[in-house]
Amino acid sequence: MKALALSGQGLTWAVLAALVGLFGQGPSFTPYEPGQALIKLSMAHLPERLEPCRQLSEAEREALPPTRRVEEVCGRERAPTRFELRLDGELLVAETVEPAGLSSGGRSYYLEYLPVDPGRYTVTVRLADTPRTTGFDLEREMNLDLNAGESALIEIGDDGVSLGGVETEESS
Amino acid sequence: MSSAQARPRPVWPARALARGESVLSNAFGGAANPFHHLGALAIYCLYIALVTGIYLFVFYSTNLEGAWRSVEAITHEQWIIGGVMRSLHRYSSDAAVLLLALHMLRELVRLRHTGARWFSWLTGMPLIWIVLIFGISGYWMVWDQLAAWVATASARLLDWLPIFSDPMGSSFVSNKTVSGRLFTLIGFIHLVGLPIILVLGIWFHLLRVRYPRIHPTRKLMLGSLAGLLVLSLVVPVTSHAPADLEAVPGVLAIDWFYLAVFPLQSLSSPGTIWLAGTGGTLLLAALPWILPRRRQPVAEVHLPDCTGCGFCAEDCPYGAIDMVPRTDGRNFELEARVNASLCVSCGICTGSCPSSSPFRQRTPLTTGIEMPHFTMDDFRNELDRARDSELTGDRILVFGCDHGVDVEKAEIGTAHSMVLPCVGLLPPPGIDYALRNSGYAGVAVAGCADCDCHHRLGERWTQERIERERQPGLRKRVPRERLFTFWAKPGQEKDLSLRLEAFSAGLDKASAPEAPRLAIRRTGT
Repeated sequence: MKALALSGQGLTWAVLAALVGLFGQGPSFTPYEPGQALIKLSMAHLPERLEPCRQLSEAEREALPPTRRVEEVCGRERAPTRFELRLDGELLVAETVEPAGLSSGGRSYYLEYLPVDPGRYTVTVRLADTPRTTGFDLEREMNLDLNAGESALIEIGDDGVSLGGVETEESS
Repeated sequence: MSSAQARPRPVWPARALARGESVLSNAFGGAANPFHHLGALAIYCLYIALVTGIYLFVFYSTNLEGAWRSVEAITHEQWIIGGVMRSLHRYSSDAAVLLLALHMLRELVRLRHTGARWFSWLTGMPLIWIVLIFGISGYWMVWDQLAAWVATASARLLDWLPIFSDPMGSSFVSNKTVSGRLFTLIGFIHLVGLPIILVLGIWFHLLRVRYPRIHPTRKLMLGSLAGLLVLSLVVPVTSHAPADLEAVPGVLAIDWFYLAVFPLQSLSSPGTIWLAGTGGTLLLAALPWILPRRRQPVAEVHLPDCTGCGFCAEDCPYGAIDMVPRTDGRNFELEARVNASLCVSCGICTGSCPSSSPFRQRTPLTTGIEMPHFTMDDFRNELDRARDSELTGDRILVFGCDHGVDVEKAEIGTAHSMVLPCVGLLPPPGIDYALRNSGYAGVAVAGCADCDCHHRLGERWTQERIERERQPGLRKRVPRERLFTFWAKPGQEKDLSLRLEAFSAGLDKASAPEAPRLAIRRTGT
């Protein structure tokens, strides 16, 4: 009877260990399909102001306290950033991102991971960061050669668009 | 016989669970049944994780370049000890999640999340989140491919919330964007911040639990440690390749206990995960108030019989009784006062009250503290009715409870049963009275299994009162050979019947209880 009880205890701990072992290191998960490549599109871009800065007139400056007599005043609100990403002319991403901050006075942020098949691509990034509603203010085209398992980082910063992570050559 | 008022028996899932657990009671014994100590076992696993974590931290490098290398060195270059410590750290953390889930499910099935227990149930909810965040932060520290993916996915999850203007995910887009200070931050969160929050969380969780069982029995501690140790030796934990944020994550061996949220996020979206996580947590937290059970009346103090001894306050498993200064001018310092919001109507206080003696010659019989739905007068009247109907004689009286083995199903030809809200309600003089005054040949007390009392302490206090280790103790004059205790779960009625038959057969040889000098007959006042 004691042997049976001991066997029962052993079996209980074996079941606990088996469950922990089974789900503690598996089953495996593959976040992206095997053989795929990845394009990471990261944007931290400061768009233009909605209203351009304005020079203060002499009378307006006189009305201000002496320590606050600035030359120009600027509104805080900035334009949304509108951009698109095309691979070999095919539209992959088209988004409009509002600036961060309570007054919409910060940068526009965007981050997306885009799995793609490996291969050579012509990447086109277009961006509008002014109050205009049609057309773009910036366009950049780059050649991208991606092997399976590789990733490329397209960064849209304050100074424009850059491509990193893989060896590339720029086409324009 | 039946109790004064019909009370609910355990629902079928609870009975099914009890049947399953009975198998483990056979192997471990009731007091060491792992299912009776799930919460304590989860805490014990966290102790193991703490001790092994301290060991790992001694050799760990909290910087970007050294983190993965130092974990590899611990795993492979310290002969066997480093690898075992790392594996134990991981597996004990995993076991804690498994045990927590079982603990929660068990309390839910047994409907022990409602009523006065809402506080423990509610304060258990944040613990789930704390433990999961604790585990996830630990995965970052290895800084292998899995860690890189977890970091990226965690950042994506957090970036969905409107709390960061600069997305956290942009820190993990390439190897160059990862800050070396990340490991100082994660180290602080994993090694200092979360352990403190977890300890505080556990303290809150147990705040309204009197005499909480924080440590499992030694048998359980050794057994679970041995199981995890064997697992660590047979399937040691290893790392993936070093983190490379410029490569596409490949096949990842996921720890589903902690990281299941990230594959789900890959298949859905961060918004869905937040919605499911917060919605699920809120739904679980609201369970005590969804379909609430009908509340039984709470304990009432009868000041003329209360001497302010404090035994009831000492014994109440829910801390529902406070001893406060006397208000009726009698020459006692204190009196008991019931906090109705904490009382679960178990009646353990009645069992602890020295005034709860059926031998007292007053009608109706009152006591210092009792349940309106099952008074000491009800108790004595039932015993007296049985005696007056000449139903006692060579019969056994079996005291049962609402949540343990069903004594009414187990009745044998020579037994009567009385079902109490909890066997802890049974005052020791009640046993004496059943033998001496009612004339039963024997008394059996059949309550919940060892360490599994529905009201946590009823079975323990009853045993201690019978063994005279707790006040009020069973009088020495009660022949112990005419008293039989049986602690079991619903579903073990057959066992009870067999044991009762054996007990009944043995009574012939037992000494007869001392006859009372005068037959007590009450005529009323």
